[in-house]
Amino acid sequence: MTSDIRLDNLIWVALTVLFIIVTSTGLGLLARAIARWRGLSEGEQRKLFWGITLAGPWIVGFLIFVVGPALASLFYSFNNYKLGESLEWTGLENYRALIMGIGAHGRRFTQAMYNSFYYALIGVPLQIITALGMALLLNNEIRGIRSFRTIFYLPVILAGGPAILLAWRYMLSANGGFVNVILQKLASSFFLFDWLYRGFIFVMEGFNSFYTGLSRGDPLGPLKFVIPGALAILILITLLGDWSESKRARTWGIIQILALIVLAATLPRGLMAAPIDPIWTVVVGLAFLGFILLSAWQGHEGRVRAFQIAALIVFAITLALTLAAAAPDSGDPAPYLIAAAAAAAPVLLSLFGVWSRRKYTLLGIAFAILALAVFIHVIPGQLDGGRLALIPRYLTFGTTLEQPGDLTYLKETYPAEIMSAIWFFALAVVMLAAIALLGDRYPRARRAVLYISLAFFLLFTAGALVDGVRYFRAFDTIAAETGTPAYHFARFRTATAQFPTQDRVPLWMTSELWTKPSLVLITMWSTGAGMLIFLAALKGVPRSLYEAAEVDGAGRTQKFFKITLPMISPAMFYNIVIGMIAALQTFESIYILRTPDTEDTLASAAFFLFVRTFRQLDIGQGAAASWILVVVIVVLTVIQFRYSNWVNYEA
Amino acid sequence: MKRAFSRLLVLAILLTLLAPVLTVGAQGAQTLEIYITGLGDDQLNWFREVAFPAFQETHPDVTLEILTGGWGDFDATVAGWITTGDGPDIIYLGSEYAATYGPLLANIDPYLEGWDELEQFLPIALDTVTWDGHARGLPLLMSPRPIFFRTDLFANPEAGIPLTFEDALTFVGENTIIENNALVRQGYMALGGGLFDAQEFIADIWTAGGELYYEDGTSAFDSAETAEAMQFTYDRRRLVLPTEDTAGLPPFEGTALASNAVVSGIWAMWQAPATDDPLWDDIAMGPYPAGEKGEPLIQVFIDWLSVPAYVPEAKLPLVVDFLKFIASQDNAIALNNVAGFTPTRQDAWEAIREASPVWARLLDMAVEYGRAFSDIRASAELRPLIAEQMNLYLTDQQSLEDTQRIMKEEYDAILEDAGYIK
Repeated sequence: MTSDIRLDNLIWVALTVLFIIVTSTGLGLLARAIARWRGLSEGEQRKLFWGITLAGPWIVGFLIFVVGPALASLFYSFNNYKLGESLEWTGLENYRALIMGIGAHGRRFTQAMYNSFYYALIGVPLQIITALGMALLLNNEIRGIRSFRTIFYLPVILAGGPAILLAWRYMLSANGGFVNVILQKLASSFFLFDWLYRGFIFVMEGFNSFYTGLSRGDPLGPLKFVIPGALAILILITLLGDWSESKRARTWGIIQILALIVLAATLPRGLMAAPIDPIWTVVVGLAFLGFILLSAWQGHEGRVRAFQIAALIVFAITLALTLAAAAPDSGDPAPYLIAAAAAAAPVLLSLFGVWSRRKYTLLGIAFAILALAVFIHVIPGQLDGGRLALIPRYLTFGTTLEQPGDLTYLKETYPAEIMSAIWFFALAVVMLAAIALLGDRYPRARRAVLYISLAFFLLFTAGALVDGVRYFRAFDTIAAETGTPAYHFARFRTATAQFPTQDRVPLWMTSELWTKPSLVLITMWSTGAGMLIFLAALKGVPRSLYEAAEVDGAGRTQKFFKITLPMISPAMFYNIVIGMIAALQTFESIYILRTPDTEDTLASAAFFLFVRTFRQLDIGQGAAASWILVVVIVVLTVIQFRYSNWVNYEA
Repeated sequence: MKRAFSRLLVLAILLTLLAPVLTVGAQGAQTLEIYITGLGDDQLNWFREVAFPAFQETHPDVTLEILTGGWGDFDATVAGWITTGDGPDIIYLGSEYAATYGPLLANIDPYLEGWDELEQFLPIALDTVTWDGHARGLPLLMSPRPIFFRTDLFANPEAGIPLTFEDALTFVGENTIIENNALVRQGYMALGGGLFDAQEFIADIWTAGGELYYEDGTSAFDSAETAEAMQFTYDRRRLVLPTEDTAGLPPFEGTALASNAVVSGIWAMWQAPATDDPLWDDIAMGPYPAGEKGEPLIQVFIDWLSVPAYVPEAKLPLVVDFLKFIASQDNAIALNNVAGFTPTRQDAWEAIREASPVWARLLDMAVEYGRAFSDIRASAELRPLIAEQMNLYLTDQQSLEDTQRIMKEEYDAILEDAGYIK
């Protein structure tokens, strides 16, 4: 501004102070005006004015330094914005590349999300078990217990620091590291430990190599149908026998969870497809209508409204995208608009009138038509090229009779996208809904549907499993013939080909099969914060409950599961939610422990967005990755709260 | 209450207003901020205690400050400055960064006009600091990275330095010792302590006779030379690690070259023992071995001082004055003594050759075999792509052909996205 730096600083500071005073007072006046408009007394207006004015500097700071950058990053995420270059509006392109796993960055993001889920789904339960175990030990009144508590808590203060993480790297060195030296000593001294140790290596390498192959997005072949199939079988088995109120409630609960999985898997990909896929639109409409009907039937008015609003927002976005860009690419927008209209109409209808028997019937018919459209028209459309023919093959074990050398159908059918498995979750939802609706009004029909469903999933899953094994056996041949990079389960095959020999050691920080377990191990070491919360909760469990249980003849195990666990469930819930969020945001430890060889197998979603933003300077895609991570964290947290009825807050 | 609050508010405002005036009053009229990456305390002290006072003799009103950091947080730090347009006046950059930050750096050609000393710099060094035909800074040092050999550890004392892929494989096989499924001695170690390094892989493509790009600017990852370099890298890995479950070397103190556990490998000079260490009697240097159609070479990394575009034009003459000062012949020799920097100015070499036979050998190697690690396009995205895909290939998870195809397709997409392919 001026040539004198002192004068410049003075002017800037004066302007800043003036800005803060003006904006804070402005906020205060605004609050006062609103209070006057709402008819509050003069005294209340004055209080509000001073309260807001004094909080003004913080509010202004929050708006400028938190809300502002967040909105800016949301805007950047819709642009091709590389540092030093101008912005270019690209709409959902960044999200599409990441969610659909397109190109090198999309593939790496998919892998990073798998890594994050590894830390969350494997790391967090192990942390909870360790923390609870430590808390139970430290809840005993023995001499020096305070010192023990301090020692166990110490890693929380130390962990995360580069020095400690580097010390861990030395301790986990495969050759001569402290951990492996101890393990090898024990293995050479105790015969049984040696077998357990080698078994541990076998299981860990088998599991991690499978997970690594999975995270690289390879087709799993028929094995991908085994997971939903096995889950459906387990669920159906629990419904055998007499029908009861608890079974009915449980069935509807399971239907909601499965439907949520279907929705979570289809919604982002459906919206991201270019052009918008009419099939996905109908599936999404079906899922939303199902949730609305179910919520209305259970009397949750708020939830009905939430699903209606969410559905309408999704359809509005779909319509806008179709009209704006997606449909013209494909030539004719009619199929997309018809699909959107068909899916949106029942949701719109649900907004009007009271929930009478007539309204349920009407919407039920609409649901049935959409479901029929999906299962009769859409699924065959998706399962073309011989995939539909696999269903009777699996049901009749047809594939096992074929010559092992006949790989034609394998090449044509197995490189199918993993989303196909989602259809079997959807199928399970329909079967379960039929069972629940038939209930005890039509017991014979309910039993018939149950047995038929069970038989279907048993045969289908067994057939898929048998063929899946064949698929893995034929892996190299297929890869060699098709030239696709289908070797990603090669590590799984070599890792499980033979039981580890006596000279094998875990290659903790150097092998892609051990880096994620190493990180989980280091995180478990510093789980003292969770332990402290459990310890506080354990102290709050009344002794009278244990005494009453002892009088009734309860043993230690019964007391733990029937009294301790329910009583500390709020602490457990808190630790799970906080642990899950922290796990999904894992960054510092990866940043310090990674090497160029292991970076991809360690990288979390948070690390990915750091690399895209600050190393590769792609601000747009980095911002999109951060918003996807935000949505994933929010959705998982909401789901955890939604299904937290196991938490006993009266404890 | 109201009056007390008003007084308090007035007092706070007055103090806030006075604070910057008092603070600024203690500072000099002009400050030059220099960001230096990855140097130790001794080297930084030389800047603060020797170089800065010398510069201030001719520029008494200038205050000089060093900001320092490591390569680990380098990208995030520099990106932050460039985003906000507010940061140091001079930024230390690595060899391949001209392509990444080029558009964000100032053109200093007008301030270098008529400066005779420019012709003393190696042409490859000047190429490294040039983007879009204009200089964006001045080269500070070069780091030739030959392969070092511990001749006293050779399994076959008569063996010479391998100059072809074939001889290199024989050498690595002979000098690797494995006991109980764990390495005891490693015939070869790549930069970074592993068995693969993306920068070295690029050099292997060059020594196989290939290039990274075709004439139309597309990637040449699908070339026969790339395939030969990949096969060489794979074969060498299998000689050191027969299976992927073989445990690596135990951790050792100090440099790998002095550990007695590694027979050959690539390191920068600051990762090697001091040049007056008697161990150098048993250390030989050689170029990267060549394939059938290529020639051996040594990669030369040029570190340089760049000028960001956000530096006000009025300040540019002062900034370039400092660059000329720090890159002078005297300072080049001094930096060699203090920090082990290899000067990029040829008129500084004579004194260094006389002072140390090790440096003399290194400079001879650089002259005979040197090729600058520059013109690496979209390097920030290329390196993870190579690391990811080569890791899959080297660990038997992906075929050579598939790896070549994926690298080619995806690097082409990156080059197109970054505007290198029209």
